[in-house]
Amino acid sequence: MVCIRQATIDDLLAMQACNLLCLPENYQMKYYFYHILSWPQLLYVAEDYGGRIVGYVLAKMEEETTECHGHITSLAVVRTHRKLGLATKLMTAAQNAMEHVFGAEYVSLHVRRSNRAAFNLYNETLGYKIHDIEAKYYADGEDAYDMRKQLRVKPPVHHHHHHHHGGGCCSGEAKGAEN
Amino acid sequence: MGASLPPKEANLFKLIVKSYETKQYKKGLKAADAILKKFPEHGETLSMKGLTLNCMDRKPEAYELVRRGLKNDLKSHVCWHVYGLLYRSDREYREAIKCYRNALRIDPDNIEILRDLSLLQAQMRDLPGFVETRQQLLTLKPNHRMNWIGFAVAHHLNSNGSKAIDILEAYEGTLEDDHPPENERCEHGEMLLYKISLLEECGFLDRALQELNKNESKIVDRLSYKEQQVSLLVKLNLLGEGEKIYRILLSMNPDNYRYCEGLQKCLGLYSDTGMYGSDVVDQLDTLYKSLQKQYTWSSAVKRIPLDFLKGEKFREATDNYIRPLLRKGVPSLFSDLCPLYGHPEKHYDKRGQYELALAKIVEAIQHTPTVIDLYLVKGRILKHAGDLAAAAELADEARSMDLADRYLNSECVKRMLQADQVGLAEKTAVLFTKDGDQHNNLHDMQCMWYELASGESYFRQGDLGRALKKFLAVEKHYADMTEDQFDFHSYCLRKMTLRAYVEMLKFQDRLHSHPYFHKAAAGAIRCYIKLYDSPPKSASEEDDEMSKLLPSQKKKMRQRQRKADARAKKEAEEKNEEESGGSGASKSGKRQPARPADLDPHGAKLLQVEDPLLEATKYLKLLQTNSAESLETHLLSFEINMRKQKILLAFQAVKQLLRLDPDSPDSHSCVIRFFHKVGTREAPVTDTEKLIWSVLEVERATLSQLHDKSLIEVNSSFLNKHKDSLMHRTAAAEMLHVLEPEKKLEAIKVIEDSTESLMSGKGTWGAVKGKLKNCVAVHKLLGHVLLDKDAASRWKTRCAEYFPYSTYFGGIYSSAISGSSDKKICDALENGSVIHQENGRLDALKELTI
Repeated sequence: MVCIRQATIDDLLAMQACNLLCLPENYQMKYYFYHILSWPQLLYVAEDYGGRIVGYVLAKMEEETTECHGHITSLAVVRTHRKLGLATKLMTAAQNAMEHVFGAEYVSLHVRRSNRAAFNLYNETLGYKIHDIEAKYYADGEDAYDMRKQLRVKPPVHHHHHHHHGGGCCSGEAKGAEN
Repeated sequence: MGASLPPKEANLFKLIVKSYETKQYKKGLKAADAILKKFPEHGETLSMKGLTLNCMDRKPEAYELVRRGLKNDLKSHVCWHVYGLLYRSDREYREAIKCYRNALRIDPDNIEILRDLSLLQAQMRDLPGFVETRQQLLTLKPNHRMNWIGFAVAHHLNSNGSKAIDILEAYEGTLEDDHPPENERCEHGEMLLYKISLLEECGFLDRALQELNKNESKIVDRLSYKEQQVSLLVKLNLLGEGEKIYRILLSMNPDNYRYCEGLQKCLGLYSDTGMYGSDVVDQLDTLYKSLQKQYTWSSAVKRIPLDFLKGEKFREATDNYIRPLLRKGVPSLFSDLCPLYGHPEKHYDKRGQYELALAKIVEAIQHTPTVIDLYLVKGRILKHAGDLAAAAELADEARSMDLADRYLNSECVKRMLQADQVGLAEKTAVLFTKDGDQHNNLHDMQCMWYELASGESYFRQGDLGRALKKFLAVEKHYADMTEDQFDFHSYCLRKMTLRAYVEMLKFQDRLHSHPYFHKAAAGAIRCYIKLYDSPPKSASEEDDEMSKLLPSQKKKMRQRQRKADARAKKEAEEKNEEESGGSGASKSGKRQPARPADLDPHGAKLLQVEDPLLEATKYLKLLQTNSAESLETHLLSFEINMRKQKILLAFQAVKQLLRLDPDSPDSHSCVIRFFHKVGTREAPVTDTEKLIWSVLEVERATLSQLHDKSLIEVNSSFLNKHKDSLMHRTAAAEMLHVLEPEKKLEAIKVIEDSTESLMSGKGTWGAVKGKLKNCVAVHKLLGHVLLDKDAASRWKTRCAEYFPYSTYFGGIYSSAISGSSDKKICDALENGSVIHQENGRLDALKELTI
């Protein structure tokens, strides 16, 4: 009924439109460009039978920190297409890519304290745990839960043991284009 | 740099440059002033001071200083470079390129300037120039990875893929055996995937496959690896191998339709038409049954068989598919199943159908009044039936049931704008843009659907200033997106996301063909045309009106005007101060920098253009380049060029229209109007006129529609050919009136005799919506063009009966006539107009999600 696939550059405008339709946190197109030109593997869309984008996940790697981890920037499914498990499928696809392409140890995200539906999805269906509470994280003053999900066990310190587990976090230099 | 200065000042000069790079502009400015105290005409210092001021929002001074600096030191590459940077910051790329070239004439091997030049060349798609500059950079610094990659990409963009491959292989030759180190594995893998995609693009399929196999362990991105592999296998007709890979891909993501399709192709079980023989259907059935067992959570493998199964098997599969979704109450279920109902005989009387639909919804809402989606659906039905105000009201009711859901808010705002309640819509929309200046947040976040819908509403209401403002805002977003690519020319070379980068450049090249841009440009053009046809009162005319007033009245009016101006100015200033104060930024950090308040909130200044058609032509050119396959583009071109008396350009538009759709009512109208206009002109006098005349003579003979016929004959044969269609009849009637104004009554009769039953059964709901729109257009034509009040009112009465929910025609169930919408529907039920209750259910319901 709905196709789950990696996003291409041609999906970005529709992703932005979907975001503006569904969520209060919005981004300019440049931020979407930044994501797809940095981690093309981490953007997924849900496309309905008519080719319309009805959901997406926009994710990134945090490369500044020592612990290599992914972060879900934004996830949305339009109201008419809820209850189909699309959010779960989109999240799973992005998480897999984080782990297998970039060797992410865990993935983090922020969710509004009041958003029970989203919290339950992350917590119960996808196995995220509250890591911290960020006071007044959102522009309107609401707190955010900082949630995390462990993707794989930390690699052993001694070096001989590693079979290829993906590429390790891609190296730094990733600044400049973020707005 | 700063070479001509004594040591102390030379050090200060270095400090300016460093401060500029680290964005410590105040520090840089201080250093510059210290040098200038001693050497007030030092060119490079003046330039750098200008560049620094440019970053501090002091543009006029900046240009003045940079130009003076250059004048004082024409032989300095620094001065030229700075001048280029200044132009670049103002997006004047062509000028910037010239400056960089001058700088390079003086200092040909300056890496920094070469790099800056290469970025501009990529941005402006000066591809041969880009290749040349990247070559120089590689020659100067061959030990930089980025220079190899940049040179390869430049060749690729310049349509020389095989050269790009050679360069990448030469680069690989420079690498150590143990490359890549752990922290560069991603980048190296990306480079390899890029090279393999180039091999594929150039048709070296075997080589590509070999490279892929050879580098399997080095390509970290497994999904891309498999997708690339299967693409090559299928192209090489190695379908057995391909099947294996598709099965692996499905195990990674069983909800990707393309993998299912690919697997079918590899198994020889695919047809483009979706029509299959019964033996193939059996094989497909077996295939998908096994996939369903394997991937129980995939909905794709359950949904796809519904497209090819027939009879009992179809019934069974559909039942299995629908039941769990129905139990959960998935609102999109019906739109998902829509394509399965392509058969007209399954449809019932439209009128019965949407009343039935409404009745069902009312029933459902009465049953469970807390299901918000039902209100949305009801609103949508009413909108399609023509009651925009009631639709907006319902959407607002739905919105109020969950204020935290922006989707409900957006839906409501959309309905309000459709009902021309712009003020209310804006108030509602900003409930979700709480930070800072509320309305601008929608603009800053490029909320284009909103800007377009509100522009269209303003246009309907005749507020051209505000309409233009909205349309041009959308146009600006597209200009900004073009600009957005700039930073990525260097970023992607570092980051090695080369496949995505090249795709992005291609996307940018077709950016303006996106539907939002098309709508915005077409909207702006319509505003300019309307502005040209009925210009706002000029200053002298206003003076004229003023002169009719008594002197005391005049004085009062002027005073009032002055006060209003002063008030507006003060408000704008206060706003500026508030914003630059930068109230507590949130941690999410995506706050916009302070921006001057909008000095033209109503778009009044936009209306003061000297030549509206010239403005319109700018946007028309973009449409012609990017939306050449759209009828609308050429209709607009026709309207503009007829007004500009550009006969040959108008004729070009006519030819394009005939190419795209010779049977469209619009194409027909343009043909008739064009040749009618040409035919009623004075005989040609000047050589140019004679030339145009003769060109048209020749061209006219080539148009099959016009062959040997008078325009009157052309029009009546068009009418004959399309006599069953209301809109074709209307076009023919309008043209009859143009050609023979005395036959107005006959023209009206052509419209009124339309046999197209406005509400007749066959077709979809979309068609009803279209019919309502057409009937409104016909009403406007009767009233405003044919100027026959009686005919218009007869038409209205007739349509009110056909469209009982239409507020425009004052239908009996519309909110324009009666009160609550539920009451209307109950009335309809009691009147017995709801039929086919049993058989109609699925059909009616499936339409609800249009």
